[in-house]
Amino acid sequence: MRELKLFLGPQHPGMHGNAAVHMYVEGDIIKKSYLLPGMLHRGFEKGMERHSWINNISLIPRVCVVEPDINEMAFAQGVELLAGIEVPERAHYIRMIILELARISIHMMAYGGLGSPTGNYTLMYHAHADRNTILNIFEKITGHRVYHQYIVPGGVRKDLPKGIEEDIHAFLDSLESRYEEYRDLGIENPSLLKRIKDTIMLPEEVVWDLGVTGVGMRSAVNKPYDLRKVKPYARYDQVDFEIPVSSYSDARARVDIKLKEVVQSISIIRQALEKMPTGPVRVPLGRGQSMRWTVPSGSVYSTVESSRGEFGYFIVSDGKTHPYRVGVRGASYPQGLLGIEKYLPGTRIDDAALWVDTMGVCSPEIDR
Amino acid sequence: MSKYRFESIFNSWRHLKYVLKKPITIPFNHIFTKKNAGYLHDNSIIKTKDKLISHPRVAADNMRGFHTNDWEECIGCGTCEDICPTEAITMVERMDVKEQAGAHQARPVIDYGRCCFCALCVDTCTTSSLKMSKEYVYADSDPDEFVIMPEALWLGEQVEDGWVKDETSDLLDLKRVEMEHADIDDRKQSFVEIVRGYSKEYAKQEAARCVECNVCTSSCPVQMHIPQYIKAIWEDDIEGGLRQIYETNPLPGVCGRVCTHNCETSCAIAVRGEAIAIRWLKRYIIDSAPTDMYNAIINEPVSEVIDASVAIVGAGPAGLGAAYYLKVMGYKVDVYEEMPLAGGVMRYGIPAYRLPDEAIDKDIDFIKSIGVNIHTNTRVGKDITYDQLETDYDAIFLGTGFFKPRGLNIKGSDHEDVIGAMEFLPKVRDFERGKLSLSDIDVKESIVVIGGGDVAFDVARSATRLQMLKYGKSDVKLTSLENEDALPASMDEYIEGGEEGIEFHCGNGPQEIMQKNGQVTGLRLWECLCIFDTEGKFNPEFDQDCEKIIEGKQVYIAIGQSPDYEYIPNQLKEKITFERGKIKADEFGQVEGVEKLFVGGDILRGPDLISGVADGHRSAQGIDAFLYENAKKEKVSKNIKEMRLYAKENTPEFTPKQKGIK
Amino acid sequence: MTNSMSNVGRINTLMGKNFSLIDAKIIDQYQVSYVLKKDDIHRALSVLKSNGFRQLSYLSCVDWPNDHEIEMVYIVMNWDEALHIQLHARIDRDNPVMDSILPIYPGAKYYEREAHEFFGVAFPGNPDYDKQLILEGWDDIPPMRKDFDPRAYSDKKFTKRDPKENFEVTDKTSKRPRQERREERANNLRTGGKK
Repeated sequence: MRELKLFLGPQHPGMHGNAAVHMYVEGDIIKKSYLLPGMLHRGFEKGMERHSWINNISLIPRVCVVEPDINEMAFAQGVELLAGIEVPERAHYIRMIILELARISIHMMAYGGLGSPTGNYTLMYHAHADRNTILNIFEKITGHRVYHQYIVPGGVRKDLPKGIEEDIHAFLDSLESRYEEYRDLGIENPSLLKRIKDTIMLPEEVVWDLGVTGVGMRSAVNKPYDLRKVKPYARYDQVDFEIPVSSYSDARARVDIKLKEVVQSISIIRQALEKMPTGPVRVPLGRGQSMRWTVPSGSVYSTVESSRGEFGYFIVSDGKTHPYRVGVRGASYPQGLLGIEKYLPGTRIDDAALWVDTMGVCSPEIDR
Repeated sequence: MSKYRFESIFNSWRHLKYVLKKPITIPFNHIFTKKNAGYLHDNSIIKTKDKLISHPRVAADNMRGFHTNDWEECIGCGTCEDICPTEAITMVERMDVKEQAGAHQARPVIDYGRCCFCALCVDTCTTSSLKMSKEYVYADSDPDEFVIMPEALWLGEQVEDGWVKDETSDLLDLKRVEMEHADIDDRKQSFVEIVRGYSKEYAKQEAARCVECNVCTSSCPVQMHIPQYIKAIWEDDIEGGLRQIYETNPLPGVCGRVCTHNCETSCAIAVRGEAIAIRWLKRYIIDSAPTDMYNAIINEPVSEVIDASVAIVGAGPAGLGAAYYLKVMGYKVDVYEEMPLAGGVMRYGIPAYRLPDEAIDKDIDFIKSIGVNIHTNTRVGKDITYDQLETDYDAIFLGTGFFKPRGLNIKGSDHEDVIGAMEFLPKVRDFERGKLSLSDIDVKESIVVIGGGDVAFDVARSATRLQMLKYGKSDVKLTSLENEDALPASMDEYIEGGEEGIEFHCGNGPQEIMQKNGQVTGLRLWECLCIFDTEGKFNPEFDQDCEKIIEGKQVYIAIGQSPDYEYIPNQLKEKITFERGKIKADEFGQVEGVEKLFVGGDILRGPDLISGVADGHRSAQGIDAFLYENAKKEKVSKNIKEMRLYAKENTPEFTPKQKGIK
Repeated sequence: MTNSMSNVGRINTLMGKNFSLIDAKIIDQYQVSYVLKKDDIHRALSVLKSNGFRQLSYLSCVDWPNDHEIEMVYIVMNWDEALHIQLHARIDRDNPVMDSILPIYPGAKYYEREAHEFFGVAFPGNPDYDKQLILEGWDDIPPMRKDFDPRAYSDKKFTKRDPKENFEVTDKTSKRPRQERREERANNLRTGGKK
């Protein structure tokens, strides 16, 4: 059979963001495949060296478009660790709410994203409509729908607006009431099930070889390897939640875990709203106006559990007003680059999009 | 391998229950504004009416939408431009904006092709004039249309505020780093300096509050490089800061303590918070600069490279200012001072608890070290004649100040226990220097001070200290025409004076000095209704029914000083025009009708020390312009050339206040 | 999945026993940082991997032009002990070569490729390290080096676009030129100092 060269993306319903999967296929079986990143390279790491600690917050959320808060949180935590400042208690809870809302929103988007490569567009529209409600809540809290620039070193930029609890509760209730419908629409839907069960499996050994974390890892190794539990940040040690795991990682298992995580996130947000103390929400990084805030020298690696796994910021300070070096460990780096190269060969063309969606490959965070 | 069990094909049937559910999508026309709906309609091939219908969704309260900027509040400080992470903001000069103190004639322009709507500009705005609205839709086919100068209205329409800063999101540090002051009980007993000065750590913290906007500079009579030397402190470069300071002010140690700090009044941070402690930061540089560091300021000894000499009469701020810059430019300079110590009002007017001698010495020693000759104990008209000066020198600068007390013409004011401020204060300084003993100064147990200016407070607070030393307790009352909130003295004086136990009787006009058996017993006051008449002339009106008498055994009058022109020969006086005690001269202090004569300081303009330095600097330029052409010059080094160039370049302009702009 | 400072202590003993540490720093209970000699890195990673640090979290570089060195950074993680370890080693900047860690952590493949692209470090042992990854058609020095100036590069590569209207209202009394001259002069008087 003839070997063909194929590009999946950068414009393709199954590709998320501007990257392409470059495949050599025989029939519909992939023989070789690579990710072609670089279409979204904006030089952020270099840019961050050229911005002060505070005005870096305009770059940081843009590292991952759909899940900006993770970046803000990882950066803020790293800077706080370097500067040795203690964030007010209330800010921790607000951060948790933001992060969990973000997790729901991106899991919904990924779940909806499952709809497009499989031709199940109703799922996509429904999931995006619910994501839209989250974006409305974000707009009320942070002032923007996508790039929130809300979690900053020292806390959050503003306190929660009055009455936002009601909006959040209303949304959580409605999402919960629609949870069964979502399952029916997607992973309990026989036509979709045929496409996702037993496809592109991820055995445990491969997880360690690739360095995959997050949902992909937990679905394969059957252990609650979630940074929120393993090394709790914010106040995740103050709320009760479970980490869904499985020992058999196919596309369906991974999507199933994502949906189960949504349920956990709902519960975390409710607990956070209930336990939230009053008080200040921000401490400045130091005396003086923001452009003259300095951070003591040192290097830290700060991590946050994103929807795709361990999201890390490696921050080096030389004691000045600007970071000396900021390195971003995109959570989808392993599955996006090495995973596609090593693991897609042998599967079918249409499974490539499922890998991208269920493992979570975010091309902006690979390119940066 | 599969872990899934077989599924029935009838499973799908349960999905039928969703058939009757409502859709959850949002209609398209809920997104656009009318304008944009119209725009889309116009640019669409298929024109249908429903494209024109729009129900734009109203954005959330915190929305970071397009900017609005209230021009009335905006001071053009450009902090938004500095913080903008995308370099979207440019400050453009707008000379059509009214000039005022503490503001630039500039306003921000925003390129929405670059703006990332982070609202850092809003959070850091010094005045809160820059806000973000709830407007979030704007479209145009011309990219240039996205460069917009925000005004109070967005595209001519009143719009709702979106993101505005609050206390949490504010990125400025509005609170001053605390300065250590001497303890009240201790300081009342002695003339030890009250303000202790910043430590290095505190100075750096205070310096970190500055936003480098430069609005203070134009309010400073000598236009010091304020933001730059504050930055030098923040970056721990004392030597650089010292050089920047000496570029515009030869008396920084003095100014760091007693300047009227117009800069702080116009500081951008002061719009909403406490001004940067510019004065104390300057003092920090001077206090922490070792003497040998001064050698670095002037790279080589200034020799007399220009063969022309200038006599300066009076070693006060104006005289020393003129002397310094003339010397830097290469002239031979001689200063003549009547008193035993150089410094004028700095030495004899201001009490030591505000300005200790060491600070004055440090400044004046440096001026001497560059080759300015100061002849103390030499009064022109007595020890040397004016005519002598005229023959010996190519130009003469007068900076003799207002040193004579101004009297108060009310009943009883000719009593010997009615004392002028400028008679009293020099004695206090001499007491502090050990030249006079406590018994040489006649301060009674209870006194009354008339006046509301800094000098009145100097008298009152000095008298308090003397009373404490002499009697172990103090009784000082201060009365002024102005009310407490309108006192011409600085707020610090009022607060600190109050702390030291001065009793205030503000808002009253003195009518009679009460006497009994030839002794002063008190002062009769009438309540002051207004100080100025409708034409703005000084013409106080009193309410005779509101009379009170305050007791005191002495009355000190501190209602202003007057000049002493006795040393000027009569035939010269005839050529000079006097206006309300001041000498009429041009911008550079050159006296009309007497080419060779320049004046500055209180006898030209006043009212404070730093304005005197500015006059001196300007006169130095005037004198240079007058002499340079015809004088013989030596070849000079590049350094001297540069120093001369920048002495000229930095000639102070008039501040908005001096130009009469409010 | 327990974490306590005893994990940190165990790793500290392990590392101290086996390697001559140039510097060791406990950042918090979840993170330790070690500075090693270049030649010790591979052995250290092998030791750590066999001690439960199965995941390579991050690999990158920091450029220190004043020291003429590039700092290699390896971050590994042990999920069971909740511990991240930073390993730092400095290599020569003019001829930056670091043997690949591919045999120890296969996941390093693309990290090393990226480090080569952005810092110019060579990784013998990694077959693809010098292939282009993100920067298509790059024609300048590795861009994450400190001496690469992105503004100069973009000024060279792209044309500037001035808006039609600049909103300026100015006249002969403009204060800007003098202000700029004064600022320049004041800045020239500085003698350095540090931030």
